[in-house]
Amino acid sequence: MSKREQSAVSSRRRYLKLAGVSGVAALAGCSGGGGETTTSTSGGTTTGTTNGGGNVEEVIIGSNHPLSGGLASTGVKMDNAVKLAAQRKNEAGGIEALGGADVKVISGDNQGEQSLGGQVSNDLIDQGASVLTGCYSSPVTTAATQAAERAQTPFVVSVAADDAVLQGRGLDYSYRPQPPAKRMARDYAEYVPEVIRQNGGTIETAGLFYVNNSYGQAIRESLNEYLPQNGVEVTVETALEYGADSADTQVTKLKQSDPDTVIATTYVPGGVLLSQAMQDQDYRPPHLTACASATFLDDEALADIGDFANGVLDNNYALNNTIDKTAAVREAFRNQYDKGMDGSTGMAYVATEVIIQAIEETGSTDPEAINETLSSIQVDDHIAAMGTIDFQENGENANALAPVNQVQDLAAKVVYPEEYAEAQPQI
Amino acid sequence: MIPAFGAVLLPLSMLSRFVDPFSAILRDVLGLNPVLLQLVAFALLLGGVYALTALGLTMIFGVMDVINFAHGIFLVVGMYTTLVVTTTFGVNPFLAIGVAVVVLFVLGVVMHLSIIEPILDAPDQNQLIVTLGALFVIQSVIEIGFGPDPQSIGFKAGTLEVAGVFIPNGRLYALALAILAMVVVWAFLQYTDLGREIRGTANNRIGAQYVGINVTRINYLTFGIGAALAGLAGGSVALFNRFDPFSGSTYLINAFVIVVLGGLGSFPGAFLGGMIIGFLQVFGSYYLPGTTYQILIFLLFIGTLLVKPEGIFGGESA
Repeated sequence: MSKREQSAVSSRRRYLKLAGVSGVAALAGCSGGGGETTTSTSGGTTTGTTNGGGNVEEVIIGSNHPLSGGLASTGVKMDNAVKLAAQRKNEAGGIEALGGADVKVISGDNQGEQSLGGQVSNDLIDQGASVLTGCYSSPVTTAATQAAERAQTPFVVSVAADDAVLQGRGLDYSYRPQPPAKRMARDYAEYVPEVIRQNGGTIETAGLFYVNNSYGQAIRESLNEYLPQNGVEVTVETALEYGADSADTQVTKLKQSDPDTVIATTYVPGGVLLSQAMQDQDYRPPHLTACASATFLDDEALADIGDFANGVLDNNYALNNTIDKTAAVREAFRNQYDKGMDGSTGMAYVATEVIIQAIEETGSTDPEAINETLSSIQVDDHIAAMGTIDFQENGENANALAPVNQVQDLAAKVVYPEEYAEAQPQI
Repeated sequence: MIPAFGAVLLPLSMLSRFVDPFSAILRDVLGLNPVLLQLVAFALLLGGVYALTALGLTMIFGVMDVINFAHGIFLVVGMYTTLVVTTTFGVNPFLAIGVAVVVLFVLGVVMHLSIIEPILDAPDQNQLIVTLGALFVIQSVIEIGFGPDPQSIGFKAGTLEVAGVFIPNGRLYALALAILAMVVVWAFLQYTDLGREIRGTANNRIGAQYVGINVTRINYLTFGIGAALAGLAGGSVALFNRFDPFSGSTYLINAFVIVVLGGLGSFPGAFLGGMIIGFLQVFGSYYLPGTTYQILIFLLFIGTLLVKPEGIFGGESA
């Protein structure tokens, strides 16, 4: 992005912040008495349902996740997390600022296909969504946020790691609570070697195993940038195509190079294939680790991999298990959906918490007004292992963090930094 | 002068990225690097699985000229049948694969009689749409029944180690089943009356009708056998991989590439095509950066279509 473009984006965001409450109130006053609150945008029409008296009855959040296809296992759980966050808000009395209006979630299935990301966003907006969240896959999220931008509808990313999802695109309506790829790789390079060395381990060489799409490539590039700064040399790289059914060759390549650590960056299936191939070839590096990999946070995947998964260090977004609220949310999720709430699922919940707080602070269902609130929001009451969620000019969270998790007794536990640690690292 | 020098260096560096992998292979071959044996083993195992997944597709096309987009989901039905039989009745996975073969044969016959036979003489695109529709219906039914979560039959096949070469047993069984299936079906087609009728129909449908062959019966039996082969492939894959309702798409794409390479309707072609893809994938992912081996596969695919559109064994049905 050129400096001129950057400047334009900054100016736009500053303008949004300065517009403030007066603009919100003015926009909120557009409510009609005919049963619908309608705000025309360049991208179509957004609707918040009202009763005959003009009070808002419900505000709609659009959930754009892969509900079918190869990523559906995680996508469905993320979609359920969005619904749970809305349900808990409704049980607590709904949106107070809107007279107790219900939070309604409508879901769209992007099938994990980039070509459907934008289409699903548009469909959700057409169905009345005031704000969107999604999409788990970085390529899909790129398309989905573009459509939201055209429709001037705010989009809070649930999970998507690629820096380019937000950065360099001049987006004014997209926000991301989780750390982007560059930040995750930087946190990996800083924290994981430190944890290993502090506990008597040695780490000087690394092999990268990554899924070959924008998310995997982004992490790979950033790891290549940050690892040498922390005394770790990348000696081998090997890629897995998305949807592959074997990682045998990739593991052979890693085994030949024999680095101190193998760093996996994959979706759930890729990490399972990696573990399986390593066991088949009787190979495990001194430190099996991961950066931004969903596999080693996923309860079902860990159960599938078995004891081999124990000890894996994975720096990724995580839930803050040091607070009671997280335990309550996890228990509610398990009771309702009979599944564990892992990191990705938790981040979908967090994104919805951010959205709900923004709607509450805005007191309106108008997307433009909600977007203004999001641009300056401060969210402390959330379940992620990170500080206050505070979006910068580019929509990234200034306090995003990717703590170090370790698989212990087939469960992912935060082991570093100490502020969020629920267990001691075992090296 | 300097910019011109830079302009020369850039293509040189790009050229080295293409040349380096091939020099690495040459170095390993000349140095008798033991890793080559491991790669050959993996290529054979992967090729075997791919060949197995393509057999049913090539049979249905060879006899009936039907491009079956539901082939991938047939594999998935085979996987789930194996799962249900194994986990519900505690049956040995290999017996469960046998059940999957029977289930898929019945499904293939029913599907053919209900939706394929009525449109056999319709334009080709109708068959594509109908089989694509069947794919979505079956996939949705599986998703409703089992959910989107990956499943596993929990079969621990273990690994065989021979002279430092690791051979995952699950894949070895799949390769054995691929070879066995090919031999059995080939013998059936060569040495039985029904097999000869199928080959006759594949060669000349009109002629077959004139000599008294019940072509309608041959059609549904062929579709059933093709589906049964897909069931065998799906059950075999379930021995060593997790799967979900959407696992069929990867195998479907590979199967199409293999069938075009080997020759539509040719069993040996399907086997050779599978092996070619297996070797390209294994050696390509080891020596080439990223997943650029896919470029080689599709260049080969396009090249085959341009130079020998009938495929390597084209014209030699079944």
